Amino acid sequence: MKPVPAAVLLFALAAAALLAQHTVSVAALAAVLLAVCLRAPGKRRWPYLVGALGSAAALFIVTPFVERLPGVVYWTGPTIPVVGTLDVTSTELSGALFNACRLAAVSLAFAAYALWLDHDRLVQAAGFARRSVLAVALATRLVPALERDAAGLVEALRGRGVEPEGLRGRARLVSPLLAGSLERSLNLAEAMEARGFGRVGGTRMEQPPWGMLDRVAAAGAVLAVVVGALWL
Amino acid sequence: MALAVAERVSYTYPGAAAPALRDVSVSLSPGQVTLILGRSGSGKSTLLRAFAGLIPHFHGGLFSGRVEAGGLDTRRHGPAALAGKVATLFQDPEDQVVFTRVLNEVAFGLENVGTPPQEIEARATGALAAVGAEHLADRLVTELSGGELQRICLAATLALEPQLLLLDEPTSQLDPLAAEALVDLAVVLARERGTAVLLSEQRPALPLELCDRVLFLEEGSLVFDGPVADARTWLEERHPAFVSAGSDVGVHPDHQGEVVARLDDVSFGYEDNLLVLDGVGLQLRRGEVVALVGPNGSGKTTLAKLAAGLLEQLSGSVERVGRATYLSQDPGRYVFRERADEEVAVGVGGDLAAAGTALAAVGLAGYEDRHPRDLSSGERERLALAAVLAPEPDLLILDEPTRGVDPERKHELARLLAADSSRATLVVTHDVAFAATVADRIVSLAQDRELAGV
Repeated sequence: MKPVPAAVLLFALAAAALLAQHTVSVAALAAVLLAVCLRAPGKRRWPYLVGALGSAAALFIVTPFVERLPGVVYWTGPTIPVVGTLDVTSTELSGALFNACRLAAVSLAFAAYALWLDHDRLVQAAGFARRSVLAVALATRLVPALERDAAGLVEALRGRGVEPEGLRGRARLVSPLLAGSLERSLNLAEAMEARGFGRVGGTRMEQPPWGMLDRVAAAGAVLAVVVGALWL
Repeated sequence: MALAVAERVSYTYPGAAAPALRDVSVSLSPGQVTLILGRSGSGKSTLLRAFAGLIPHFHGGLFSGRVEAGGLDTRRHGPAALAGKVATLFQDPEDQVVFTRVLNEVAFGLENVGTPPQEIEARATGALAAVGAEHLADRLVTELSGGELQRICLAATLALEPQLLLLDEPTSQLDPLAAEALVDLAVVLARERGTAVLLSEQRPALPLELCDRVLFLEEGSLVFDGPVADARTWLEERHPAFVSAGSDVGVHPDHQGEVVARLDDVSFGYEDNLLVLDGVGLQLRRGEVVALVGPNGSGKTTLAKLAAGLLEQLSGSVERVGRATYLSQDPGRYVFRERADEEVAVGVGGDLAAAGTALAAVGLAGYEDRHPRDLSSGERERLALAAVLAPEPDLLILDEPTRGVDPERKHELARLLAADSSRATLVVTHDVAFAATVADRIVSLAQDRELAGV
């Protein structure tokens, strides 16, 4: 499948997850997207899965404590200024589960986009807003680039006999990682400008025409949004 | 008639105290290969960037004088407008790759300059063939070695068929054969297509054989501009390190010191079914400097990391005595603290006195309070070296320590390494002249992963 219909399909599944009103429907969409992500190579998929599922789990845990909805009270805690009395009710739990599934589905759709799509061809195929598509593609590559940089920084520390252990040890990496990615982005911007990026009158390499599978995916994307809005 | 001209160009980077270029005038003719030499920070890269229009358009700063390339005045035309007529190959290929797939990467510049769509793929493929990389067209750039990636970046510049080709230390990550192929290709372009080639190099021996003309920059000023024969005489008098083929600094006694590291029948692979090293052995004794050489992708860095204990071998044994430190290829990884002395002290439990001694040893006395990111690339390289010297290791492992380092500084580094006989030193390098200068023993790791002592 070509990257444009694949991207449209993933975007539609994420939209369907946002439009759907039932937890089971959203959970099913998240499960499908999780299955897609799990087929990616293990080394590449773990940061995305940890990010997607970790943030969904965090949302599920935090939501009942900050919402105040009626229902069967499962737990009552202390009273906190501004927030009020902490409690966990059945309505809060079901709402938290629904929102966590939504977040998981949207995050997993992005993970599938990052892991599976050929971003080069997506940029090549972009008939309009090519600069924006390129910016998104470059941003998508940031995760593996940061991962490589972090491994390099850890190696430099270990090469001096220093083992970065625990949260504090890892926190040391944040500042050099951030500064390093800024420095790299400047170097990349310079190289892109030297290669004519931003010049008026750019062209695109010829792209092969869409096949049957691509057309089915595009139709499926429209269908997913409609079904998500009306019936899920 | 000149293809590119710089007239009385002076330039100061934003916030810099001193100019990077001072009143430089140069003209470049079609078909001519011009080599720029100079110490680190002398303004070589800045001059290249001026011809590409990146200075002042991308970097800002104070610019005076006039640069014209391919008939376009860079004060009125930015780098994007110059692209196509001018193409630049930067030092670090990883910082210039935009796309993930090789063919798309090579096609990027062609698309930007408005090449007819039906011609783009053929020209990109042709450029890949010219650098011997057509078989990589569908590969992901993340799967390529540094040397392969540099060839892809060169192909991306060649695809544009530029009138002026700017090469900024393009061989720094290449093994000698690949470096020779790249310089040869630049010469062929000049001779056959009439391309003007401006090449900056820190391994000048080969380019000096092939170029037509040499420029020498000192603190931003052009102090020599002449044909290569005159340049040799001038360099021998003023800067002999640039023309000597590696003057020996070692004493080379018959080393019978204690064995500090022994690797026996070691195998290693990053993936299950592909061994990078298979049954390799190496012994390092206290007091000796060993250079580990070999082509790109032969497993030199992997072997060095195994010796340092940064990787765990799949089979075989690795024994070490005392402490080992490892200098990474990328000096940008030594930036955890905000002061140079604190950065160096990371490996010695915060001992600033030891850090100061190490900084002085590498010629960075007085740099203690500087931020590591404010240092030039050559200074960063020395800071990183200080960081691994400070712990006074029993085994010192340096991975490509001469990348971007000028010949005079390389000679100083060789002296520094040879002076201390209390440790074993392993230097991984593509720089054959440096290896000859510094090493008591040269070990060659061939593509088939067998070691040969020299």
